[in-house]
Amino acid sequence: MSELTLFVLRFGFLALLWVFVFALVFALRSDLFGHYVRRRERQQGDITHNPAAESSPFLPPAESPTPARPAQKLVIIAGAREGLEIPLDADHLTIGRSAQSGLVIRDEYTSTNHARLQLWNGDWVIQDLGSTNGTFVDNQRVSVPTPVAPFTPVSVGSTIFELRP
Amino acid sequence: MALSPNSVDNSTITEQLMLRLKVPTKLRNLEATLIVFAMVVTSAALALVDLGTTGKLNPPIIGLTLGLGAIVLAMHVAQRFVARDADPLILPIVTLLNGLGIVMIHRLDISAGLTGWQANATRQMVWTAIATVVAIAVIVTVRNHRVLQRYRYVWMLIGVILLMLPLVPIIGVTINGARLWVDLGFVSFQPGEIGKIALALFFAGYLVTARDSLSVVGKRMFGVTWPRIKDLGPIVIVWALAMVVLIFQRDLGTSLLYFGLFLVLMYVATGRAIWFVVGGGLFGTGALVASQFLTYVQGRFSAWLDSFNQANYEAIGGSYQLVQGIFGFASGGIIGTGLGAGHPGIVPLAESDYIVASLGEELGLVGVFAILSLYMLFVARGIRIGINGSDDFGRLLAVGLTFVIALQVFIVIGGVTRVIPVTGLTTPFLAAGGSSLVANWIIVALLLRLSDTVRHQREEVAS
Repeated sequence: MSELTLFVLRFGFLALLWVFVFALVFALRSDLFGHYVRRRERQQGDITHNPAAESSPFLPPAESPTPARPAQKLVIIAGAREGLEIPLDADHLTIGRSAQSGLVIRDEYTSTNHARLQLWNGDWVIQDLGSTNGTFVDNQRVSVPTPVAPFTPVSVGSTIFELRP
Repeated sequence: MALSPNSVDNSTITEQLMLRLKVPTKLRNLEATLIVFAMVVTSAALALVDLGTTGKLNPPIIGLTLGLGAIVLAMHVAQRFVARDADPLILPIVTLLNGLGIVMIHRLDISAGLTGWQANATRQMVWTAIATVVAIAVIVTVRNHRVLQRYRYVWMLIGVILLMLPLVPIIGVTINGARLWVDLGFVSFQPGEIGKIALALFFAGYLVTARDSLSVVGKRMFGVTWPRIKDLGPIVIVWALAMVVLIFQRDLGTSLLYFGLFLVLMYVATGRAIWFVVGGGLFGTGALVASQFLTYVQGRFSAWLDSFNQANYEAIGGSYQLVQGIFGFASGGIIGTGLGAGHPGIVPLAESDYIVASLGEELGLVGVFAILSLYMLFVARGIRIGINGSDDFGRLLAVGLTFVIALQVFIVIGGVTRVIPVTGLTTPFLAAGGSSLVANWIIVALLLRLSDTVRHQREEVAS
């Protein structure tokens, strides 16, 4: 076999190797991962527009008529972020160390998903999400979803907050 | 699944299962196509080796690629049954890397005059078969990766035992200065290769539970949240383990691999860069002290920094091998000498530690970059699986296993190209060596399992 043919074949092999690499990259482009991620994001979008979709099955939708006006804001009265006010404009608020929480509390005694405030028939109810150090309403440890009246101290980790109208 | 609601109502679970197996899936078909493509590339390489060395084609040797093709396709078929939605790119990438490795080892056999069962390529082929069978066994038995999390302390025990096994008298053997092998009479292997998987499983399982205290707790000082002293325990233990490997097994690469794996998982789990600083400082100090007292580390460093010094070049355990490898790369140049036309056999251990230098000589910079791209795509897939993972353990495990491969590639190719000191690790999938092949194929099987779970759950969520 001539030297030239061999050279061409060798060159062709390198080209083939790169064709394989680009075939992989092409397959990556049309890969289904991206598709699924988009679909998932749209679903999450739906949830924010439809508050009833995420609430617990035993809770009625929050749009039911409310006799009294529920508390409008959460105020931290002790702890690292003392003085912080969070408007309660959704029907629920999650509390924990996770960055996805509505109220992020970062200290040693708070769990990643610590507790959850939920609007239930016009009242705010707090539910402990299996935290290690517990959630306390008026110094009573919460084991079942407990209503939180305005100006009642609620403590999560070393932070204490209350709800205000 | 593409079943109408009516057919679900009317058919039994078994019927649904049968139907599901028959439905050809897009991903598996893509995988099959790419595997065939990888086999074509491997066969072309093999043909070129024969043309380059003997000037004519040697038909029986094509059995090497056919054998490889058959066993990889067996794995592919297994996935059609048990991991239908697994990532379609991982297996083709690994097939090509493994195939190119066998081709290059075969080429080195020719220059060394080895044939039949003496040939390293034949042994590599047998090991590939064993490794694939083990990988199939893993993907068939491990149906739910979360089960693995439950046994995290068992993995720790297995990992440490495997790591320490070469230090046991009688069965432990020292080869080329490193005490990494175990010889049981009929077979010798490197238990540390399997040990790295056990440790990756343990680290992932442990960090899932420990991440909370490691990620947020600590005093803030100078703009950095410093970890508490009591949280430093795990990192110090792993560091001590790495130092034991460094000092008693005399292997810098393995030591760096275990410690690097732990640091990366810690960083991924907590998102705190401070662990890198703490860990890097610990390892750097340890390695520096070791380089002062351990002559082999010292030798590695001077061979790396001053490779072309005549004294280093001629010293036993000096830079001869490294420099020959670099000469190989140099004579390959941009497009290489062509398969079968170079002299890669000059480099000692060209078929294992220095296989990248051999490939660099005969395929040139263009070829080496293609191989590095394959590794890059593999790592990108692995990290993608981690990002899409549904549970923390799966995420950490995918990233950890991927990182084991990535770090090995960096340590070996970085060593051969004089970016870092030479250390004794194997190039994943390419280099001759049974234990490493088996371990890396197990990693492939676990990644495929994790990727299958990811998409499977997506489908359930979407439907």
